[in-house]
Amino acid sequence: MTFSLGEVEAVARKAARGAGYSWGMAEEAGRAARWLCAAGLDGAGLLAEALAAADGTDPAELAPRALDDWRGPSGRLCPLMAGAALSDAVAFWKETGVTMAGVTVPALVLPFAAMAARASGANVTVRWADVTAVTDGRALSLCGAANLPTGPADVSVSAGGAMTAPLAARTRATPRAEDWAALNALAARTYAPATEESRMKGAGAGLTDND
Amino acid sequence: MTAAPPPAVALRPPDRVMRLARLGSLHQCRLSFMRILTRRMAREGWRFARPVFDFDTRGVGHAVYTAQTPDRTYSLVAFGHDLPPEMRSDRVIATAWDATFTLFDGVPAPADIERLSGNVPRQEAGRVDERSLSLSRANRSARLWDRVVSTLADGRQPDAGQIAEVGYLMRTTAVYGSGKFGAADYDTIADRPEMRAPFQAEMLSVYLTRVYQRDLVNHMARARGGHRAVPLEPGIARQLGIGNSTGLGLGPFIVNHPLLFNNWIAAREEAIARVRAVDRAAAAEIALFRNVLARSSALVARWRSAHPIQQARLADLRADLAALAERLNGDDLTGPRPWNRLVEWSEAALSLEGQELLASLILEPYGALVDDLADRMGDTDPDAFRIDGSMTVSRARALIEDTYGWALNLDWDAPEHCARAWYVSAEKLEPRVGERFEEPIADYELPLAPGRDAAAAHAALADWRDDAPLAEFLLRHPEHRFAIRRAQIAARAPYAEIRDNTIAADMLPIDLLRAKLAFFGATQFDPRSDRWVRICMYGGAPYPEELNAGNADLWVYPEVAP
Repeated sequence: MTFSLGEVEAVARKAARGAGYSWGMAEEAGRAARWLCAAGLDGAGLLAEALAAADGTDPAELAPRALDDWRGPSGRLCPLMAGAALSDAVAFWKETGVTMAGVTVPALVLPFAAMAARASGANVTVRWADVTAVTDGRALSLCGAANLPTGPADVSVSAGGAMTAPLAARTRATPRAEDWAALNALAARTYAPATEESRMKGAGAGLTDND
Repeated sequence: MTAAPPPAVALRPPDRVMRLARLGSLHQCRLSFMRILTRRMAREGWRFARPVFDFDTRGVGHAVYTAQTPDRTYSLVAFGHDLPPEMRSDRVIATAWDATFTLFDGVPAPADIERLSGNVPRQEAGRVDERSLSLSRANRSARLWDRVVSTLADGRQPDAGQIAEVGYLMRTTAVYGSGKFGAADYDTIADRPEMRAPFQAEMLSVYLTRVYQRDLVNHMARARGGHRAVPLEPGIARQLGIGNSTGLGLGPFIVNHPLLFNNWIAAREEAIARVRAVDRAAAAEIALFRNVLARSSALVARWRSAHPIQQARLADLRADLAALAERLNGDDLTGPRPWNRLVEWSEAALSLEGQELLASLILEPYGALVDDLADRMGDTDPDAFRIDGSMTVSRARALIEDTYGWALNLDWDAPEHCARAWYVSAEKLEPRVGERFEEPIADYELPLAPGRDAAAAHAALADWRDDAPLAEFLLRHPEHRFAIRRAQIAARAPYAEIRDNTIAADMLPIDLLRAKLAFFGATQFDPRSDRWVRICMYGGAPYPEELNAGNADLWVYPEVAP
């Protein structure tokens, strides 16, 4: 069964919120998972992995200390926290690049590198382990390991680089069942338990909706 | 796109337009999504057919209706069911319906129908795929359906007055589109010209659903009455719309899509400004305006609501129409800038309902001047999502003051200002609104109070140095990321934000619903509570076999004797 990218984005957003991120960060998580799926990677699985690595930890412990110090207080970096800062701050690192220390799921930095690429009008290159990824903001080309090595790993990001063989764009997602279930379980934390009062009043219908 | 000269009349300011009471008084206009669709269908000569119509005497079976554009074909696949009365409910928490539908991209093969028949009738519990562009359902009107079937079966036409009283024979509820329950994402069809304006797939599915409604009532009357039965007379059929019953779900949508909502409002405001800037109205334009005003008055006259809030607004609106008629007795509209003078007069003389009805009506004679704006109503800027972190803290403060000035001096801890909280229930995953201080919902609150959130971000920004970049602020304050993004969107999209408190004790969710439904093109708003509204769609519209350039546009206004 395939899922629409809108379904991926919606469950990813709610899952990140359920994992303890702010709504603004949760929106980033939704967009990031969607972008990865559209670019041909397993956005749902990568996000599920990152949220599992972060669950129970204060997101601040997994965020860069400063725009010129891309290390987290805990020694690890959440790719959502670091990625959002990367996209926000492209104007400041465009000339120098940045190196992030101990990113839990390096591939999840890619959607944020893509936003930076579109904003700056230049390709952006992301490297970790033996992977070199280049994005023009829309598509993604990958060199290196066939299976993306996971983290924690140091990730370097710099402006420039040439797209070689972009992955085929996708319009549907095919997440693994266990990842989809993990995201939905986190998303369920955002739902208020039903009460009779809510059932009767919350959505506004009384008993007379049948004429 | 034609480069229209910049309007010499200023756009109405967002502080005036984006208030809940005014948004809750909006009316359909030339730029409503149903009318954009019917104009296009007629202009391009879409061809319609009903290759499958296979129902038993109880209305159980399925039908396929096709709409052929110059480039492709869309098909409404309709499944009819025989629902026991005790299961009939418009609530989104219902699990069975009289009819269920999907708009299929292309022409379905028998295998597609087979697959869809196992899923579409289950709605939220089923799955569709990327060949489906919508998923929806409808129930028969208990007030009217059986009466119309038995009258037709007896060889008589139903009473036109009774038909007008209800306005429809079937009432849709949720019409799911883009990406929902496995359907195609809007992105995958957004480059088709006929899908560029908002909600065109959903509007097409509802248009064809109305045809199914007529055809099924005729079929069941024939099944019951045999040779005695007569089909619904075309004039009565045309008067029928398709109903819709809408709960809270639409409200969050316009808050969650600020750029899209901006584009709707901005297009209509630009249209109003262009018409107000017209220096002299031609005789034919004046005549058309007077004609649609008279016909619109007839529509208002038949508008019924059981809800005290809308009853009061309707009383105001009827008084407004009387005042407008009197004004037009003394103004033949031949002077300079007639529409601008009329609008300026209305701002002091009419209620919000009347002001917004007039603003919609003055657009009618000016299709050539305003219809191009339909192409600007979609959300075409995926990059608006990105936060510009190089912006300084002082600039961000100024943006918030511009858009959310109304919110900055409000005491957001006062119970009356934060009495409500929007949330999603675990039960049916539907948005609801509750009482923050009476129900255990605050921990589950959705971010649907942009004013409160902007005020909190503004307070946090006060502690930062003026020239610090937002990227630095957001690294420390991810909790304000949501508000900062919206403030940056609103800076380039002035009508993006509702400039009112969406969690106030006296907030009326129906105002949010009305704003969206008016853009769809709905009429006859009939709130059933403060958070649930019934409407009529396509009432008066030509059926596919009647549709032509002459009737594709003004069908919303009933014909009246001259």
